[in-house]
Amino acid sequence: MPGRLVGDLVLTAPAPLRRSAALLALLGLHAVLAGAAPVLGRRLGPRVLLVCALAPAATVAWALARAGGVLDGRPVTEVRPWVGELGVELAFRLDGFSLLMVALVSGIGVPVFVYAWRYFAPRPDIGRFAGLLTAFAGAMLGVVLTDNLLVLYVCWELTSITSYLLIGFDDTKAPARAAALQALLITGAGGLAMLAGFVLLGQAAGTYTFSEILADPPTGTTVGIAAALVLAGAFTKSAQVPFHSWLPGAMAAPTPVSAYLHSATMVKAGVYLIARFAPALAPVVGWWRPVVVSVGVVTMLVGGLAALRQHDVKLLLAHGTVSQLGFLVALFGAGWEEATFAAAALLLAHGLFKATLFMTVGIVDHAAHTRDLRQLSGLHATLRPVAVVAVIATASMAGLPPFLGFVAKEAGLEALLHEGSSATLVLVGIVAGSALTVAYGARYVWGAFATKPGRAGAPMAATPVEPPGAAILAPAVVLTVATVLLGAVPALADPLVEGAATSLDPRVEGVHLALWHGITVALGLSVLAVTVGVALFVGRDRMARLQAALPRTSSGTEVYQATLTATLRLADRVTSVVQSGSLPRYLQVALVTLLVLPGTALLSGPGLPDDLAIAESPLQVVVAALVVGAALAAARSRRRFAAVLCLGGVGYGVAVLFVIQGAPDLALTQLLVETLAVVIFVLVLRHLPERFSETSRRLSRLSRAAVSAGVGTFVAAFALIAGAARQEPAVSGEHLARALPDGGGRNVVNVILVDFRGLDTMGEITVLAVAALGIASLVLSGRSERTAGLAAHDPDEPAPATEADGPVGAVSSAGGDRLG
Amino acid sequence: MTSTAAVLAQQGDLLVKPEVEWVAITPLLVLVGGSLLLLTLSALTTRRPRRGTYALFTVLTCAGAIIASVALWDRVQDPARGEFTALVGALTIDGFTVFFSVLIALSIALAALVADDYLRREDLEGPELYALMLLSGAGGIVMAMANDLIVVFLGLEILSIALYVMAGMHLRRVESQESAIKYFVLGAFSSAFLLYGIALVYGATGSTNLSEIAAFLSQNVLESEGLLLAGFALLLVGLGFKVAAVPFHVWTPDVYQGAPSPVTAFMASASKAAAFAALLRVFFSAFSNHASDWRPIIWVLAVLTMVVGAVLAVVQRDVKRMLAYSSINHAGFSLVAVHANTERGVAGALFYLLAYAFMVLGSFAVVTLVGRRGDAAHDVDDYRGLARERPVLALAFTVFLLSQAGVPLTAGFFAKFYVIGAAAEAESYALAVIAMVTAVISAFLYLRIIVTMYFAGDEAEGDAATGRHRVAIPFGAGVSLAAAVAFTLLIGILPGLVADFARDAVPVLLSAAP
Repeated sequence: MPGRLVGDLVLTAPAPLRRSAALLALLGLHAVLAGAAPVLGRRLGPRVLLVCALAPAATVAWALARAGGVLDGRPVTEVRPWVGELGVELAFRLDGFSLLMVALVSGIGVPVFVYAWRYFAPRPDIGRFAGLLTAFAGAMLGVVLTDNLLVLYVCWELTSITSYLLIGFDDTKAPARAAALQALLITGAGGLAMLAGFVLLGQAAGTYTFSEILADPPTGTTVGIAAALVLAGAFTKSAQVPFHSWLPGAMAAPTPVSAYLHSATMVKAGVYLIARFAPALAPVVGWWRPVVVSVGVVTMLVGGLAALRQHDVKLLLAHGTVSQLGFLVALFGAGWEEATFAAAALLLAHGLFKATLFMTVGIVDHAAHTRDLRQLSGLHATLRPVAVVAVIATASMAGLPPFLGFVAKEAGLEALLHEGSSATLVLVGIVAGSALTVAYGARYVWGAFATKPGRAGAPMAATPVEPPGAAILAPAVVLTVATVLLGAVPALADPLVEGAATSLDPRVEGVHLALWHGITVALGLSVLAVTVGVALFVGRDRMARLQAALPRTSSGTEVYQATLTATLRLADRVTSVVQSGSLPRYLQVALVTLLVLPGTALLSGPGLPDDLAIAESPLQVVVAALVVGAALAAARSRRRFAAVLCLGGVGYGVAVLFVIQGAPDLALTQLLVETLAVVIFVLVLRHLPERFSETSRRLSRLSRAAVSAGVGTFVAAFALIAGAARQEPAVSGEHLARALPDGGGRNVVNVILVDFRGLDTMGEITVLAVAALGIASLVLSGRSERTAGLAAHDPDEPAPATEADGPVGAVSSAGGDRLG
Repeated sequence: MTSTAAVLAQQGDLLVKPEVEWVAITPLLVLVGGSLLLLTLSALTTRRPRRGTYALFTVLTCAGAIIASVALWDRVQDPARGEFTALVGALTIDGFTVFFSVLIALSIALAALVADDYLRREDLEGPELYALMLLSGAGGIVMAMANDLIVVFLGLEILSIALYVMAGMHLRRVESQESAIKYFVLGAFSSAFLLYGIALVYGATGSTNLSEIAAFLSQNVLESEGLLLAGFALLLVGLGFKVAAVPFHVWTPDVYQGAPSPVTAFMASASKAAAFAALLRVFFSAFSNHASDWRPIIWVLAVLTMVVGAVLAVVQRDVKRMLAYSSINHAGFSLVAVHANTERGVAGALFYLLAYAFMVLGSFAVVTLVGRRGDAAHDVDDYRGLARERPVLALAFTVFLLSQAGVPLTAGFFAKFYVIGAAAEAESYALAVIAMVTAVISAFLYLRIIVTMYFAGDEAEGDAATGRHRVAIPFGAGVSLAAAVAFTLLIGILPGLVADFARDAVPVLLSAAP
């Protein structure tokens, strides 16, 4: 598939593409292990997690083997047809940025699986958990590897669903269920919006291949709408303001899930999407840069402030994740090449330290059976190794040298400084956010591990702990070593980060990570951030009072709840208005539509005929007045019987009009039909109450009257206009002319019935005869079956449907009514 | 005497005997014949047949109709022979006809399997429901193959009258009787509107034959379009009733809720599909060159239908009503595809209808089972903890609901994608975006049911203690469910099969018969 490369890369590196079936095989391995885990879990217990770790481990090994070529700008691709008709193909592509994401998803995945193995006590559903986690890892891998927007969407939704099941894994706990639903609703809604965006984008570009769209982004209004929809998906997934509420709630998940979800997967999917699109769309879509960057900065601040308020250390870290995601979005979203580079570094750093931090929270929770920082005390002594790991990870998060977090943040500040005045506001926001990061980082370390002052000034007694095993700490240690190593020797991380950033934006080439840039403005800003952060932490009591005194802005969860409630209430109200269950009202709706739709069309029609005569004889006026009077009386009558009689009066009046017009046979037919109708009515009325039930309100009566009048006018106008619209000569002339010579009769109607349309008449008579036979036999058979049932009832009462009523007889009589 | 004979002889020459191509209407004949045979045989035999006989007979009849359709498919897809009209141009036999024959026959078969145990459970055992279903389905096929507005009307009436009776079939449920009356009254109105519309279109164009109407409209410019426009509007009102487009949807929730659950399944799948078939035949085929007149109306209808269906579904507590509203929302999606007025749009609508038929049949099959004896346990709370009690049933329902929500790897995803893609291709971006927004709203509803089934550990014990009836999965319903799940997933994973089928089934308009 030549030419399937990020556009500018083709210029810089005309490299041959390498194809590999291993990509699909690795995704398949995830699927197979996910399917097998529930079965294996029954035999292996928690060890099944180690088996499942094989999938990410194999991915890491494969990615390492391919890393050299990929970082040199030779992506690995694989395309298999799926739905050719719709332009969907299983296209996968491993370029530099995907490699970085794979390093995160699978590279952090392995330690998380190992951690989970020690985290869980044996429980019956451990296999299900392992399967879900593996499926989740596989889906996430699909998101970062695929080169087709629709496959990306498929994998994206799979991460939503699997994470939903993982967050709600403890499904007996109501908060876990609520949090899971909230996460699914918000990310799922965003995902659907994103799908619409993808479709618009794909239609505008003429392809759904991700790399082709990025290489040659379409332009126009459509792309603007598409970008907004795609951003809706990315923002919800990456918990950006105002969609950030689900992420803190999601920490109801078992800690290994949180460690994975908050560091390497799920939330990074949105960042991934923004990172991919920013270089292509930021220049094309005017509002992209200001919107994305400001959302990122605001999220960073909101998350940081919220983290400072928390007492649950896990919740604190969750809000911290929101803040860090804002930072990432701000850096990536700008589409500035240096910022992109810094963001890639930060992505790696954040994955490493945040996974570590959640792991330490899990260990603390297990050991001390609480996560409340007001109850934790003295753990720095009792859980020293854990404390050391946590301090290093926090230092990296706070951006202290010599850790990777520092290197990445410096690069970010440098990048923003180089952008000059346009980035000043962003820079201020990010320095403020960094200060908050320092403050909540310190709060976490202090809250989880410090010895706190007790009531009377004496230190609080150390919280009793159960010592954790070494194995549960090992994964956190491994990740911490990476944080230290990559921070102290940035050259180790440099190729990966540079390769990733270059594949996003070829202009990045030549930027490098460094631990020490010399005494620069960026360093000064870092020092400022740390100083302010420490001050915030030291003055935490004052800070808490200040936050309490500020007018409380509504939190994300409240917005979510309010939206939910408002939707429900609106729907409730609308339902009670339009879906009352009342047949008259339904009819009104239908009739009003009739007035509006064809009525307006009719107004634009040929108009009323010119030769319209009000009446041809005074008698007509009299009869017409009678008819109108009878109709009004029928409508106003309170008694059913009177109404029916008035209705009959209308019919007889019309028959008289026929007579006046000179059509006695028609009048006769009308008389017969009317009489029959009245008789049938009367028969039915025996079973109904004498009076109509009182119509409820004046307003509804008036509206009914209005609708009826309108429809009456419409039908009358319709008849006149339709009659006037005739252009061809009527067929009746020929009937009249041919009745005597061809049919041999003077009564035209008779000739039509028995001669011109003789076959039709015969058919109708046959149908009537068959129907009559059928009804007769049904009535007879029904009577024989009912004799037992009817004996007990008054024959005048409608027989209630009882068990004795044979279904056959009763159902058939219903069918018989229809036939008649 | 001799003169009469002479006249008769002369008239014998005048009488044009219609050429009937029996092969063309075999699927129809199989269904009608099956229905009549079923009624006759059950009337003639005095002994009660073995359980499941009626359902089996119905399924075999449907299989016969499908086989006949497949034979027709080969003929119409053969470039040498191709599509043709039958019965003096009254019917068109093309891929479209075959597509809907298959869709309707499949729906009848699956609904009949669900009805089998339902009727026994509710003490309603008898051949009537099956016979009516077959007849109603035959009416649906007539609508799909109609090449004449009068034939559309005939088909609609055959379809509807059987449905009115079926809706009121449950004798001991007042809701069932009430729903039948409501459906009948409103349906009669809609039929009247349709007839008015046909009359106006006839008045404007001088024909009821779709081919001739199209030919007339392409060759003549109307002096005044009022009659034609009013005719369009009335036709849309009439067909809008049957597809349950807002604001003609008012009957849907009440009727879906009140009708026996297997009948609702049939209504939501076959009857809705047939109405869309007629809509596409009439508007896409015949009125295509007046698209600028009717597309705006469809646009408004589609938006209203999607929004009202999605928003009102959310507040329902009764699962049957929820699914009724969601079916309105799905009708809106199909209208989006109709609105595109392109081949891709029509193919999208066909894909959507077929995919939806399976999910909705499956959903109502589950509802039938959970409804238990009396067909009344339809509150959301009745689904609480179903996953523990009946994991397979809950899983199947989850698949159907996820598919309705448009989650990937289920049929619903590609259905939505196809439709949205068609709308985007036709540059109706606003419509595409509104469609997705309503999909988001209705996703909430489906998730709510799923959550109730799975995550309800706390209260489940309490309910179990009160001795609630256990949900049983009888054989017929099991087969039906398995088939629906299999199709839903198959279309979701390999949509190419159905996509090709739908693409080749876009209706053609053959030139007017000589």
